[in-house]
Amino acid sequence: MHLLPKFDFYEPDSMAEACKVLAETKTEGKIIAGGTDIMVNMKKGLLSPKYLVSLAKIPGVSSIEPITGGIVIGPNLIVAKLIEFDLMRKKFNLLSKAASVLGSPLIRNRATIGGNIVTARPAADLPPPLMAMGARVVLMRKGKERELPLDDFFVGPGQTKIKPTEILVKIIVDDPPPFTGWDYVKLMHRNALEIAIVAVAVRITLDSPDGIIKDARVILSAVAAKAIHAVSAEKILIGEKPTAKLFARAASLASTDCTPITDIRGGAEYRCAMVETLTNRALSAALLQIKSK
Amino acid sequence: MKEYAIINSRLPKVDAWAKVTGDARYTDDLTMPNMLYGALLQSPLAHAKIKRIDTSKAEKLPGVKDVVTAKEAGLVKYGVSPARYDETIFCDQKVRYIGDEIAAVAAVDLETALEAVSLIEVEYEELPLLLDPFEARKEGAIAIHDDFPNNICAEVHQEFGNVEEALKTCDYIRTDKFVNKKQDGAFLEPQSCIATYDLNGNLTLTSSTQTVHYVQRTVAMVLGLPIGKVRVTKPCVGGGFGPKASANTIELVASLLSMRTGRPVKMTFTREQVFQHSRARHQFFHELTTGVMKDGTLIALKNVCHMDGGAYSSFGIATVYYGGSLLGAPYKLPNMKYDGYRMYTNKPANGAQRGHGGVIARAAWEQQLDVIAEELGMDPLELRLKNMMKKGDVTCNDFNMSSFGMEECLEAIRDGSGWKEKKGKLPKGKGIGVACGFFVSGAGFPIYRSETFHSTAMIKLSEDGGTINLYTAAADIGQGSDTVLTMMAAEAIGVRYEDVRVSSGDTDFGVDLGAYSSRQTLMSGHAVKQAGEDVRNQVLEVLSRNLKIPVEDMDIKQGLIIFKKGKVDFSGLRSQYIKEHRGWVDAPSGDELTFKEAARVAYFEKGVVVGRGSYKPGDLGGKYKGAAVGTSPAYGCSAQVVEVSVDMDTGKITIDNMTDAHDCGFAINRTNVEGQMQGSLSMGVGEALYEEIKFDAKGRVVNPTFGEYRIPTALDMPNVNAIIIESNEPNGPWGAKEVGEGAIMPTIPAILNAIYDATGIRVRELPVTSERLFMAMKEKNKK
Repeated sequence: MHLLPKFDFYEPDSMAEACKVLAETKTEGKIIAGGTDIMVNMKKGLLSPKYLVSLAKIPGVSSIEPITGGIVIGPNLIVAKLIEFDLMRKKFNLLSKAASVLGSPLIRNRATIGGNIVTARPAADLPPPLMAMGARVVLMRKGKERELPLDDFFVGPGQTKIKPTEILVKIIVDDPPPFTGWDYVKLMHRNALEIAIVAVAVRITLDSPDGIIKDARVILSAVAAKAIHAVSAEKILIGEKPTAKLFARAASLASTDCTPITDIRGGAEYRCAMVETLTNRALSAALLQIKSK
Repeated sequence: MKEYAIINSRLPKVDAWAKVTGDARYTDDLTMPNMLYGALLQSPLAHAKIKRIDTSKAEKLPGVKDVVTAKEAGLVKYGVSPARYDETIFCDQKVRYIGDEIAAVAAVDLETALEAVSLIEVEYEELPLLLDPFEARKEGAIAIHDDFPNNICAEVHQEFGNVEEALKTCDYIRTDKFVNKKQDGAFLEPQSCIATYDLNGNLTLTSSTQTVHYVQRTVAMVLGLPIGKVRVTKPCVGGGFGPKASANTIELVASLLSMRTGRPVKMTFTREQVFQHSRARHQFFHELTTGVMKDGTLIALKNVCHMDGGAYSSFGIATVYYGGSLLGAPYKLPNMKYDGYRMYTNKPANGAQRGHGGVIARAAWEQQLDVIAEELGMDPLELRLKNMMKKGDVTCNDFNMSSFGMEECLEAIRDGSGWKEKKGKLPKGKGIGVACGFFVSGAGFPIYRSETFHSTAMIKLSEDGGTINLYTAAADIGQGSDTVLTMMAAEAIGVRYEDVRVSSGDTDFGVDLGAYSSRQTLMSGHAVKQAGEDVRNQVLEVLSRNLKIPVEDMDIKQGLIIFKKGKVDFSGLRSQYIKEHRGWVDAPSGDELTFKEAARVAYFEKGVVVGRGSYKPGDLGGKYKGAAVGTSPAYGCSAQVVEVSVDMDTGKITIDNMTDAHDCGFAINRTNVEGQMQGSLSMGVGEALYEEIKFDAKGRVVNPTFGEYRIPTALDMPNVNAIIIESNEPNGPWGAKEVGEGAIMPTIPAILNAIYDATGIRVRELPVTSERLFMAMKEKNKK
């Protein structure tokens, strides 16, 4: 049996208190949300924080609040809720789809959206759709908030812009503009309990139902040190009429935008090829979604 | 077919309630008063000399009760097959794989034990690493075991008929290579045990094991205890699949620590330790040459096999024989030659896993037969039907198919899957494949040479006659032997299922070689049937004397005595029974004499009413060297059709349908038989598509978790059409034989053949990941 190292546990009842507690722990404290990542790493001996601070008792951290033009998601919201909530399934179904292929029911009932973002695993399931949707994160330290686009949040595997005593307190997602379609495609060895071999999130917005592509976001996952934009693919999509040929070209360009490694889950060459296939599929599905609305 | 009261039905498992409510107790759920926790120090290096071990700091840690190394444990060698005892409890001079055991600690809690382990200092001198079996056998390679200078742990050379001469007569010959990867048994419950040594010198070892008998023998031998002082017992066991079929390190270490401290000691493997201890499926490298005539008649097979054995022999001696002997059948094949080599490497030891030694050979050959059928322009199912063995046929290596419903199996899957409508008519990306297989129904001989009975059983009646206690050392490891043996006891006596209470998996209950080689339904079943009939006869004989009715004029059915020649006045017996049990709730009533009342009469005469049963196979065929591995009193056989979809742009394979027919001789519990078939298929799907233990350059397992070592989830398994074929095996109890392992045989090749049908690609390396298939399709498109 693996045993947890010893640690002190705090459960503050306000965000201000949480900030204070975390600041007092200097750099030896960590936030614990679902624990599906940190507990495993603590048991393996990879992490041994002296203090764990839970946000669970703080009002509002586990909810989704509609605001003008979008929603605010609390960091402690468990992944399963992203699938359950009507609002998510109807309006933000890209996030629901990604959530539905994250781990297993057991993991989805514990893991949180905040945890999935902050742990910054290069193959995490929620950052790609959130980036495709243009999500922003709100970070808090000593009671002061700052807002960052998720695009600018990740640095590398396990590395983000969050400071050791800073807390992710909100995730803000804007309503999709009209004539928007999206998709998340994840290639897995088996059909559950999987970390992606490659995953692609795509969002395209047309200027009119049969018009040109006004905005395009293509996010590639598990093929770089963090989820990345397929910049050259996005570039050629914008301003063009969506066609199968255009999507094929964009998909081909996407595979040149990534820098995968060969690891336990797949080879670099295969991953590059899969970026092309999945990007093409995701773009086609996104377009179909716009057309069928 | 004869009607039975209990067997051949779908009764719920005896432990169903306990399992579904979570009430079932497994070893790690148990605690003992005053119990200590043990922890192991294992080697971080795959090949190194041990220069120095210093345990002094660990010994001084408060809460530590004992620290042991080879110095304290001694150097008695043990293993599975007496021909290759090559392990000691702890390493003495050198370590041979990452995880090799060096020392152990017993402490008041697990935290202290683990901390103490971290305080033990070991100085190593690294030795050259041998991770590749072909490198290991090269001239000049360092010997992993001094007694085996070229690292060949075992080799087998067998020839039946004359293969070279026969090949000269063939119209068509082809040679193919095939390789799989080292696997894990992937049982859900890690090995765990509690050893308790009492003040009278008795050791009781509670363990998650498939074979209490073999563990008892090994523990007694290694620790120098009289065998009568060692009792091994198992509570619920969460799967075994082979790796739990012999004594493991923690069983020996916990016993040693308990003997030294006088306190119970518990030890449980982490999942990583399960992967390190391993003893599961070997990596096999097969090269098969098959010769046939134009009409598809199989003439000759040449099989060369190299196996990566890992650091110790474990079951490997048997495995290297099975790698050859489980081919040939289920087809009539007059000439067969086998050369098998098992090499030592600096990796966790490989051993036995479901379909022992034969699964990869079967995958290789059944795919090759598919190629041959295509080359000859034959339907692959027809090729198989043409060569099929029938009841009474004997293989060239002397396996007697005393029952063999192979043809029925093939016809059942052909019709059940819609083969004729689908084969050759599916669109690109969809495929259908077929394969066959067979397996032993119990090893014909124990793993050590002996005249021992393979199974014994005892049935004891309670004094009130209402409860039938069945005692057997057979091991229910989740497969359902407790249920099957309970049903058999009830059927043999003529009582109700709920009247029988089974106690099993304990060396105090008798001798049983355990749950391996698919033996318990046939072998333990024979013993139980015999014990049941013994009890039945004893009760009827007493009753006969008492009522003055000949035994043959009576029968027992559903717990009632049947008087064949009309009504009998038993009012004397009844009123006596009721008088003696005044105030009890279960007084017998009704027009018929109950078994309970009859058994009470037997109790009055005998005091103890015990039925006895014991079984060992009769003379089995084969006088050649190695004939002991593969000969069996009976053989199960099966055929499968698998349908797949392949995503041509990613290589991802989806299993759409599986149609499986298995000849189990006679199904004691039909639901249980289907469960074994489905379990085998699921395991086969995992081996075919996902499973591979991966190593880094230092010999460390890099995926010792169920996150990165993938077995199929519920979402990966299609519905299975499981068809039971019953051929009435003359050597089995009520005609029953195996289903536990044989059902896995056709799964992998049927999947491979379906993948070929869908893609035109022959994959000869397992697992067929989406990447492997995609890259192969890409390669083919280039040409």
